[in-house]
Amino acid sequence: MESIEAIYEYAWLVPVLPLVGAAIVGTGLVSYSQTTSTLRRPAAVFIVSLTGAAMVLSFLLFFSQFQGQEAYTRTIDWASAGDFHLTMGYTIDHLASLMLVIVTTVAFLVMVYTDGYMAHDPGYVRFYAYLSLFSSSMLGLVISPNLLQVYVFWELVGMCSYLLIGFWYERKGAADACQKAFVTNRVGDFGLLLGMLAIFWATGSFEFDVMGDRLTELVTTGSLNAGLVSIFAILVFLGPMAKSAQFPLHVWLPDAMEGPTPISALIHAATMVAAGVFLVARMFPVFEELETVMTVVAWTGAFTAFMGASIAITQNDIKKGLAYSTMSQLGYMVMAMGVGAYGAGLFHLMTHAYFKAMLFLGSGSVIHGMEGVVGHDPVLAQDMRLMGGLRKHMPITAITFLIGTLAICGIPPFAGFWSKDEILGSTFAVSPVLWGIGWLTAGITAFYMFRMYFSTFEGEFRGTDKTIQMQLKREQLMAMGASLGPGAMNPQELTLEESTHGDGHDDHHHSETPHESPFAMTFPLMALAVPSMLIGLVGTPFANYFEAFIHPPGEELSGLAESAEAFDWNEFLIMGGSSVGIGLIGITLAVMMYRTRVIDPAAIATRIKPFYQLSKNKWYIDDIYEVVFVQGSRKLAKQVLEIDVRIVDGIVNLAGFVTLVTGEGLKYLETGRAQFYALIVFGAVLGLVLLSGVT
Amino acid sequence: MDLAQFPWLTVTTLLPITAALLIPFIPDQNGRTIRWYALTVGLIDFVLLVIGFCQGYDLQGSGLQMAESYTWVAQLDLRWSVGVDGLSMPLVLLTGFISTLAILASWPVTMKPRLFYFLMLAMYSGQLGVFVVQDMLLFFFMWELELIPVYLLLSIWGGKRRLYAATKFILYTAGGSLFILVAALAMAFYGDTVTFDMGALAAKDYPLNFQLFMYVAFLIAYGVKLPIIPLHTWLPDAHGEATAPVHMLLAGILLKMGGYALLRMNVGMLPEAHGVIAPLLVILGVVNIIYAALTSFAQRNLKRKIAYSSISHMGFVMIGLASFTNLGLSGAVLQMVSHGLIGASLFFLVGATYDRTHTLILSEMGGVGKKMPKIFAMFTTCSMASLALPGMSGFVAELMVFVGFATSDAYSFNFKLIMVILMAIGVILTPIYLLSMLREIFYGPENKELNEKEVLIDAEPREVFIIACLLVPIIGFGLYPKLLTQVYDATTLQLTDHLREKVLALNENGSIQPLAWLPLTAPALPRG
Repeated sequence: MESIEAIYEYAWLVPVLPLVGAAIVGTGLVSYSQTTSTLRRPAAVFIVSLTGAAMVLSFLLFFSQFQGQEAYTRTIDWASAGDFHLTMGYTIDHLASLMLVIVTTVAFLVMVYTDGYMAHDPGYVRFYAYLSLFSSSMLGLVISPNLLQVYVFWELVGMCSYLLIGFWYERKGAADACQKAFVTNRVGDFGLLLGMLAIFWATGSFEFDVMGDRLTELVTTGSLNAGLVSIFAILVFLGPMAKSAQFPLHVWLPDAMEGPTPISALIHAATMVAAGVFLVARMFPVFEELETVMTVVAWTGAFTAFMGASIAITQNDIKKGLAYSTMSQLGYMVMAMGVGAYGAGLFHLMTHAYFKAMLFLGSGSVIHGMEGVVGHDPVLAQDMRLMGGLRKHMPITAITFLIGTLAICGIPPFAGFWSKDEILGSTFAVSPVLWGIGWLTAGITAFYMFRMYFSTFEGEFRGTDKTIQMQLKREQLMAMGASLGPGAMNPQELTLEESTHGDGHDDHHHSETPHESPFAMTFPLMALAVPSMLIGLVGTPFANYFEAFIHPPGEELSGLAESAEAFDWNEFLIMGGSSVGIGLIGITLAVMMYRTRVIDPAAIATRIKPFYQLSKNKWYIDDIYEVVFVQGSRKLAKQVLEIDVRIVDGIVNLAGFVTLVTGEGLKYLETGRAQFYALIVFGAVLGLVLLSGVT
Repeated sequence: MDLAQFPWLTVTTLLPITAALLIPFIPDQNGRTIRWYALTVGLIDFVLLVIGFCQGYDLQGSGLQMAESYTWVAQLDLRWSVGVDGLSMPLVLLTGFISTLAILASWPVTMKPRLFYFLMLAMYSGQLGVFVVQDMLLFFFMWELELIPVYLLLSIWGGKRRLYAATKFILYTAGGSLFILVAALAMAFYGDTVTFDMGALAAKDYPLNFQLFMYVAFLIAYGVKLPIIPLHTWLPDAHGEATAPVHMLLAGILLKMGGYALLRMNVGMLPEAHGVIAPLLVILGVVNIIYAALTSFAQRNLKRKIAYSSISHMGFVMIGLASFTNLGLSGAVLQMVSHGLIGASLFFLVGATYDRTHTLILSEMGGVGKKMPKIFAMFTTCSMASLALPGMSGFVAELMVFVGFATSDAYSFNFKLIMVILMAIGVILTPIYLLSMLREIFYGPENKELNEKEVLIDAEPREVFIIACLLVPIIGFGLYPKLLTQVYDATTLQLTDHLREKVLALNENGSIQPLAWLPLTAPALPRG
C-alpha cells in the first residue's frame, strides 16, 4: 500500500524527467555549443533513458489505476492575490494514466527512431532537446487537474511544435509553416481563453467537474441563459478545433509536415493533435449537458473527417497524404465525442496513435531510403510518383506499412477496425446522417491508403526516372511562383533551388536503388506493429475492457459483464459488415487503379475535373485564407501605421513646427540645451515654493 | 550597527550619482577602467538594494517601509523623505537589476566613455529616486532629473535622427511634467494644511470635481511616459534612435515610471476620480493593445517594431489598474516588472543583432540563423516571453489582468465582454508580428549579400550572460509567480480595498458621473 502511495507522490516526475533532460542539454547547447554538439550519442542516450524512466513510471501508474486505485490529485497554490487563488498540480486518474502510457511509449519509440533518421543532421542534439521538451509539455498537459493548467501546457506544446516544424529553418517552407501553425493555433487559443474566462466568470472555478456542475445548476435555476453557456462552450471548443486540425482551423497541419518526420509521427499524428480530443474528453462534464454544443462538435468532426479524406485522395507527397489522413481520423474522434461516445473516441485516439505513428515512421523510412537515390530534396524524396516497388528493397518497412494501412482501413482484426466500428455504431444510434458521412469516409480512407501503399511499395521503382524528376521540379517552381505572386518572386530563391537540384544529380547520387533503414529505425516500426495489430482486442464489443476502464466522469461504472450482455451479434454484424464492406470496395478500387491498372486514374480525373481540382487544391481554403486573412491583416496593419505616422505624429510635428516658427522656443530648439530647460523648470519650482512659503 | 536602522534607501539612491561625480578624476586611457568602475558601482548598489530588501522589508506590511525623513530646507518644509511600499519595492529592485545589466551591455560603447558612464550612473540615481521619494516636490525634481541624462544619451550616442528624437522626447516629457507640477501644487495647497508629503496628500479629502481635474492632469503627464495612445509618438523615435543600453533603460524602467505614478497618484490619491475615469482607461488600454500591435506588424524597422510592442504590452497595465479587483491590480504590477525584464532583453538582443548586421531594416536581413545560432535561440526565447508564453512572467501577468478584469464586478457584462474580446484579439496579433520578425531575421536560406558585407559572429559570453540574467527572473516568476506577488500583495490588497470603499461611497451619494454618456460604462459596484 505504501509503495503505491509513493508512486503517486512522485508522479510529477513523469513530466519533469524529460524537462530536466531538455534543460540540461539545452543549456549545454547555448553555453558550450561546440562541445555539446559533438557529444551526440551521450546526449541522445541521456534523453532517451530519461524518457524511458518516465515510461516505466507511467506504466506503473497505469497498472495501479487498472487495479482500481482511487484517482489521485495534488495541487499547490500557484498564484494568489488576496483571497483569490489559482492552483496547479497533477491528477492521476484512468484517462490521465492511459494518456501517459500512450504518450511515453510513442515518444520513447520515436526517440529511438530519431537516432537513425537524424544521424547525419548537424542539429541532431538540438532535435533531441526539442523532443524532450515536447514530451515534457505533453505529459504535463495530460495530468493537468484544471482547465487553466491545460491552457498553460496547451500553449507550451504549441511552442514545441513551432520549434520543431521550423527545425530546418533555412528552408523557406519550414519557416512559413511553423509560423502558420503557431498563429492558427493562437486563433484557437483565443477562443479557448475567452471561453475559459467566461466559464470562470460564471462558475468561479477552473476545475472540470465543478464547472460542469455549476453551469448545469445555473442553467436549471435560470440565472444563466443556456444559449450563452453554449457560446462559452463553443468558444472553448475553438481550442481543440485548432489543435486537432478541425475545419476551419485545420490549415496548419498539412504544412506542418515541413518538419522532420519523427515529429510528424510524434506531434502531428500521435500525441499533440490528439490533445484536442483529450480536452473535449476533459470538458465532457460541461459539454454533455449542452445539446447545441454536442451537435456542433459532432458535425465539425464529421465534416473534417470527410474533407480530410477527400483531399488525401489526390496528394502525391507521402507525408501530406498521411497528414490529411490524420486530419480525417481526428475528425472521427471529434465526431465520436460529439455524439457522446466518450469511450469510443478515446479508444480511437489510442489505436490511431499507434498505427498512425507507425505509418509516419514508415513514411520516414521510405524517405530515408529515397534520399539515398534522389538526394536530400524533399520535393523529390517525398513524392510518390518517384517511388514504387520499394517492398523488394525495404521489406520491413513495407510489411509494417501494410499493417498500418490495414489498421486504418478498418479491416478486422487490426486495431482500427474495433475503434472505428464502435464510433460508427454509436453514431448510427444518434444520427444516421452523420453515420452515413463516417461510413462513406471509411471507404475513401481505404481507397487512398491503398493508393498510397501501392504507389509506394508495389510496381516498378521509378526513382531514377529523370523525366519525372524534372517534371516535379518544374511543378514546384510554378507553385512557388504562384504562391509568391509574380511581383514578389524572389529570383535568388529560384536560382538557389536550381543549383541544389543540380547538386542532387551530380554529388548525391549514392545508389540506383533504395536500402532498408538501419535497425534503430526498423525496431520502432516493428514495436509499433504489435499494438497496431492487437490493441484493438481490448475493446471488442463482446468484451470491452477499454470502456470498462475509460468512461465519462460521473457516469456509473458499467461492468464488463453488463457490456457483454448488452452485446447484440446481429447489430455488430450489420454495422461491422457494412463498414468492412465499404472498406473492401475502396481497396478493390485502389487495386484496380494502382495495382492491376485496369482503370486509368488520370482518365477519371479528367472526367470529374471540378472535383479533382477541388481535392487537389485542398478545397481552395488556403487560397481563401491567404487573400482574406493574411493579406487583409497586412493591409489593415499598413493603414494603421499610415495613420500613426501621418496623422497622429503629423499633428505633433505640425504643432512643433508652429511653435518653432512663432515662439521664442526657436532659440532653445536650435541649440537643444537641456540644461537651459532644466534651469527654467527648477527656477519655476523654486519660485512657486517660495511663493507658497510667503502666503 | 543595527542593519534595520541603516538608511538603505538614501544610500542606494545617492551612491551612483556620487560615484559618478568621481569619474572625471579616474585615470583612464581607453575607457576600460571607467566601464569596470561603473559596473562595480552599479553592482554594489544593486547588492545593497537586495540586502536592504532582505533586512528591512517586511512582506506582510502594507504601508510605507524603510522610511527615512530628513529636513532639507526647513523654511520651505522641504524634506528628503524616502520610503518604499509594495508598489515601489519591486520596481526599485528592477531598476537596480536592469541598470546594472545596462552598464554591462554598454561594453561596445567607445565614444566619450567618461560622459557616457557618468550619465548612466546619474540615470541610475534618478530612476531610483523616482520610485523611493515620498515627497511630491522631490518626486517632481527626480522626474526631471532623470530626463536630462536620457536627453543627452539620446542626442550624443543615438542614430542618424538622434537630435530630432531627443528633442521630441524632451518636449513631450517636459510638457507632460508641467501638468505634474501644477497638479502637485494644487493638491498641496488644497485644504487647511500645506503639505507635499505623499501620505498626507493621499489622506486629504478632495471634492470630486477637483479630483477630476487633477486626475486628468496626471493622466496626461503619465500617459506620455507609459505611453498611452495618442501620446506615444515620441517613443518610436526615441527607441528607434537610442543605443542598446539606453534602450534597455527606456523600455525597462522609464515606461514603468508612468505606470507606477498612475498607481501611486491617480489610483491611490484620487480614488473617486478613478472610479469615474477608469472605464476610459480600459478603452485606452484596449486601443493601446490593438493599435500598437497592428502598427508593430507593419513596421519594417526592427527597433520601432519592438518599441510598438512595448506600447502594446503597456495596455495591459492600464486595464489592470482599472479593473477594481485585487487580481487585476496585481497583474498590472506584475506586467510592469515582467515587461521591464522582457523589454530590456529584447532591446538588448536587437542591439546585439544590429552590431552584427548593421541594418535595422527587416527586408535586408534574413537567413542569419545559421551563422548566429545562439542569438537566434535567445531571440526566440525572449520573443516567446514577450508573446506571453506560459512558464514565463508575461503570461502570468496578462492572465491575471484577464481574469481580474473578467471577474470584476465594477463593469457591466456587455462592457466586459467587448473589452475582453478585443484584448484577446491582441493575443492573436502579438505572435503574428513577433514570429514574422523572427522569420524575417533568422529563417530562410543564407543571406549571401549580408554575409559578404558583414562579419556575422555569434553571441559572446557577455551577451549570453546578460540574457541569462534576465531570463532567470522571467522564467522564475513565470513558474512560480508568488515569488514576486508576495512582495506587493499586502499593498495592492489595501489599495484595492481603499479604492472600492471610496468608489462605493461615491455611488451611494449619487454624485455626478461625467462619463455616464458612454453607453457601456457601468462603474457600479454592488454593495456589501
